[in-house]
Amino acid sequence: MNHIKLLFFATIRDRAGVKSLEMDIPVDMTIEDLKDKLSIDYPNLKESMKSVLMTINREYAFDEAVVPSNAEIGMFPPVSGG
Amino acid sequence: MEPFNFPTIFSVTESEIDLNDLLAKITLTTTGAAAIFTGMVRGETNRGDAHITDYLEYEAYIPMAEEKMKQVADEIRAKWPIVEGIAIVQRIGKLYPKTPTTLIACTAAHRDTGVFDAARYGIDRLKEIVPVWKKEIGPDGTEWVEGDYIPKPGE
Repeated sequence: MNHIKLLFFATIRDRAGVKSLEMDIPVDMTIEDLKDKLSIDYPNLKESMKSVLMTINREYAFDEAVVPSNAEIGMFPPVSGG
Repeated sequence: MEPFNFPTIFSVTESEIDLNDLLAKITLTTTGAAAIFTGMVRGETNRGDAHITDYLEYEAYIPMAEEKMKQVADEIRAKWPIVEGIAIVQRIGKLYPKTPTTLIACTAAHRDTGVFDAARYGIDRLKEIVPVWKKEIGPDGTEWVEGDYIPKPGE
């Protein structure tokens, strides 16, 4: 199992109800698998998974990417700074 | 090659944006022009969905935001090697109408070097890839403002 840390921002944090979570995931888990797992474990997040942006260690990550051990995973909606 | 003394400043801050201080830091003895963009909280919106804004609340994924600001600065230098200094700042927290929220400034030897385009590119890219969000609070309630840009691999 790989230990990872999830960080939630903006609408995703509001729906999750927490700023961060730590969890253990299977070694070969991809970003897509992780989104599926979160949709099941945290039903409030299910709707957000369609448009969520995901990052691995502060770089944008896409469905096929495998989540490495000790990864810092960011989850948030499209950005709206400026 | 980029001379080692070309200053690049990027930060996410809760403090007031100090234009004079930033400008001084990106002005070299060879500098003769600066293009500065600053965005502020608009209290009254008339274009599109007209509405009143009481204040905005900004938040950021700070370490990633600063890394992505550095990336935007690197992209500016790749496209406009004549740019001398670059400052990219995003203020976060609770910000009221008329308050500057962001600043992008680029300096160069002369104004006809593309320095205006460089600053324009900087604010456009900040709004695409730098992880910052704002929540709008007005008389009709509270609403997160969502962007529409989906970053591509490598961004």
